[in-house]
Amino acid sequence: MFKSKEKAQEGIELHGDIWKHIQPGEVILDARGITKRYPGGVLANDHIDFKIRAGEIHAILGENGAGKTTLMSILFGLLQPDEGEIYVRGLKVRFRSPEDAIKMGIGMVHQHRKLVPAHTVLENILLGHPQSRGVINVKEAEEEIVALAERYGFKVDPRARVWQLTEGEKQVVEIVKALYRGAKILILDEPTSALTPVETERLLESIETMTEEALGVVPFITHKLPMVLAISDQVTILRRGRVVDRMETAQATEQILAQKMVGRPVIFDLQKPEVTPGEPVIQVENLSARNNKGVIALKNASFTVREGEILGIAGVAGNGQHELAETLFGLRPAESGRILFNGQDITNRSILDRWKLGMGYTPAERTEVGSIGDFTLVENVAMNYYFDPRYNHAGFLDYGGLRQLTERIIDEFDVATPGPDVKIQTLSGGNLQKIILGRVLSRQPKLVIANLPAQGLDVGATEFVQRKLLEARSNKAAVILISEDLDEILSLSDWIAPMYEGEIVDILPAAEAKKDVIGAMIAGIQREN
Amino acid sequence: MTVAGYHIRLQRRTQLPGWKAALFSILAILFGLLLFSFIFIQSGHSPREIYKQIFSYAFLNSYGLRLTINRFIFLAFASFAFIIPYRAGLWNIGMPGQLYLGALASFGVVYLLGGKSGDINMPQPLLITLMVLAALAAGALIGGIAGFLKGKWNVNEIVVTMMLNFIAFNLVSFMIKDGGPFMNPGGRGESFELPEVARAPLIADFPYTLILVFLLTIALYLLFGRMSLGYQIRAFGKSPPAARYAGINPFWISVLVFLLGGALAGLAGYHYFAAVPGVYKIARTYGYFGDLSFYGMICGLISLGNPIATLFIALLFGGLSIGGRSAQGKLHLGFGVDYALMGMLMISLVAFQFFYNYQILIERKQTEID
Repeated sequence: MFKSKEKAQEGIELHGDIWKHIQPGEVILDARGITKRYPGGVLANDHIDFKIRAGEIHAILGENGAGKTTLMSILFGLLQPDEGEIYVRGLKVRFRSPEDAIKMGIGMVHQHRKLVPAHTVLENILLGHPQSRGVINVKEAEEEIVALAERYGFKVDPRARVWQLTEGEKQVVEIVKALYRGAKILILDEPTSALTPVETERLLESIETMTEEALGVVPFITHKLPMVLAISDQVTILRRGRVVDRMETAQATEQILAQKMVGRPVIFDLQKPEVTPGEPVIQVENLSARNNKGVIALKNASFTVREGEILGIAGVAGNGQHELAETLFGLRPAESGRILFNGQDITNRSILDRWKLGMGYTPAERTEVGSIGDFTLVENVAMNYYFDPRYNHAGFLDYGGLRQLTERIIDEFDVATPGPDVKIQTLSGGNLQKIILGRVLSRQPKLVIANLPAQGLDVGATEFVQRKLLEARSNKAAVILISEDLDEILSLSDWIAPMYEGEIVDILPAAEAKKDVIGAMIAGIQREN
Repeated sequence: MTVAGYHIRLQRRTQLPGWKAALFSILAILFGLLLFSFIFIQSGHSPREIYKQIFSYAFLNSYGLRLTINRFIFLAFASFAFIIPYRAGLWNIGMPGQLYLGALASFGVVYLLGGKSGDINMPQPLLITLMVLAALAAGALIGGIAGFLKGKWNVNEIVVTMMLNFIAFNLVSFMIKDGGPFMNPGGRGESFELPEVARAPLIADFPYTLILVFLLTIALYLLFGRMSLGYQIRAFGKSPPAARYAGINPFWISVLVFLLGGALAGLAGYHYFAAVPGVYKIARTYGYFGDLSFYGMICGLISLGNPIATLFIALLFGGLSIGGRSAQGKLHLGFGVDYALMGMLMISLVAFQFFYNYQILIERKQTEID
């Protein structure tokens, strides 16, 4: 035991030399038999083997709960494997912390950005850098960083404050930060999930440049399968903690990958039945609202959604969609304008009234707002029923009835859980979303506001959630779908409203909408008429 | 960690049955008593003798038991006053102020009816009801200030309740000392004594407030376990943004829990100064009972806000504070040893809550096969 530790220590001391003379195609990272068991006996990683070669993009594919996060954490030293070994350029290593992993040339770009919003880009990149313990020559560092970024085709303004950046720009900062620390193997967690099509294209070009320099790039991906096909050379597919297959991407199709990932055939073309729109359910007139910083973030939004219609709000995060959703549901006061629901002005009505009137909202923040982690599934379902006379008899809650209701939702929404009495925090992301959506839809609302309903979900759960939204539409509900995924917007919506900088740029019938036109609108590029 | 071929590791618990939580609490008490016995041995006493003295006086001696029960009732009310806001994620540090005002209001009813110098011509049940209602209302009022400020402007409730304690403390001084309206005619820096009719009736030697404790325990159990309102309080306590999304009104919850908590603290004030035999006045040392009410906070925290568990903890600490003082006098122990012992048990109880979240697994290490 001690011997191996010493050896690992040695390896870390040697890191200066280890990256010399890399040949493209050479194995630079070799993971053998990685196994991780969690309390309760869950086998998150079950003897996972894979090899990363220099100059190669090797995608790791898997649904939520397939063990990707665990594997990523092990590769980055956040977790220690119970069994298995990691070799970097043939040298056996043991990462006791991310610091060790960074020393060995492993860089990580988190999906949930780990940056300090109030600091500048430069400060964020220097933060935690080994050199920054002593005196830093800021000017020199700034020049180095700009040069490094340019080499890979990134544009960064080192003096900008991180909170002012878009998601895509923040990701660039994280990548540059990893490269500046000398990363040779770059782990990217869901790299394109928050990017616009334009930003995605730029990222792919930069990754190309990196591979030309014999870096290893390892994107971990759950749901953007076309992306996998577009960028990767190799793909390793995980399911339930095991490697189910590995192949060269050239041999793969979307269908094959999805089937391997989910373990059953997946339907990509959603059946969108013909629904004749009915009466207007919600009419929004010149609605404006402020964001948390007090700045007007939603400007004069006007639209109408009728029974049996889905209005897709497209846009990149931070362009007012979130404020729109919250204002519609009363979580945020309206600055001006009004909201009519079934012809009734509800602009200033309480959230409870909105629930009672037949509005439903599935928030984007599923763990912070949409659910209470410490509550059981039954208690979480009660969030939408504690006021409902069917389950509230003279102030007393009918927990027995709520339990049956929860079991029905578990059945109908195919939620993987040991039962209705476990705490909801034990559920995976996809199952959590199914419970939240199931709970809201079980009220048979006249209007559903779905804020990023499929974000971060795996292929199977995404398909399920989308199918349920279409089902609600068939049942004559009006649906407002907020999504950053243009494909999702295009395949589900009847009307599409692209948003940019707080404004609804246009409202287009989905049948006539083109992806590149909408892509340009949400990127703020004006249409030429 | 590996010891002699056995592998010892910690594992997070996913759930904990109620009986196990109770078992850990009992083990914690025994452990605390064991640790403290070393201190007794150090100072040349027999721990066995001391513990016997403490527990037999507190729970077996008929006079001691009455004192214990009176303390217990007081602590139970104070604990409930803490628990209700605590379940909503808010901290009521204002039990002293709330109970002072509760006591003042009860005495105010008697004073206004002329009970300071003469007798009151009113049926006892009606008078007692008025006194209790006044205590509840006064406690609720001062508690409600903190809830209102919290709900309306998000002013920190800990600071507000604590500051209100000082105001209430000095208000009592003003009322009972130096010519204050409630001053005892004898001028001993305490309030007038309640006339016979205003004293709480006894049931089998115990004040009737004991029954209120049990009724309130059931009420709180139903509130948090069965009622929609209790559900809303708990939801707000676990996650304010999620509660808001569910349509729960944060302002109303903040105000309500402090109204209820303050009212129950007011009841604690009523109990100690108007219902405990031999007291029936706001004593010169009223500040001591304000401090004692903080034990309610500790009982509430140790029981994790469970009203039934709280009763047992309150009984234990009520008994220890009485028995410990008696043992200290009888066996000539050092000053403050009773509080040190209670402190030790608290630390032990809190430390053992580690086992609520974790379990220790000991497994035989498997021989590795190559």
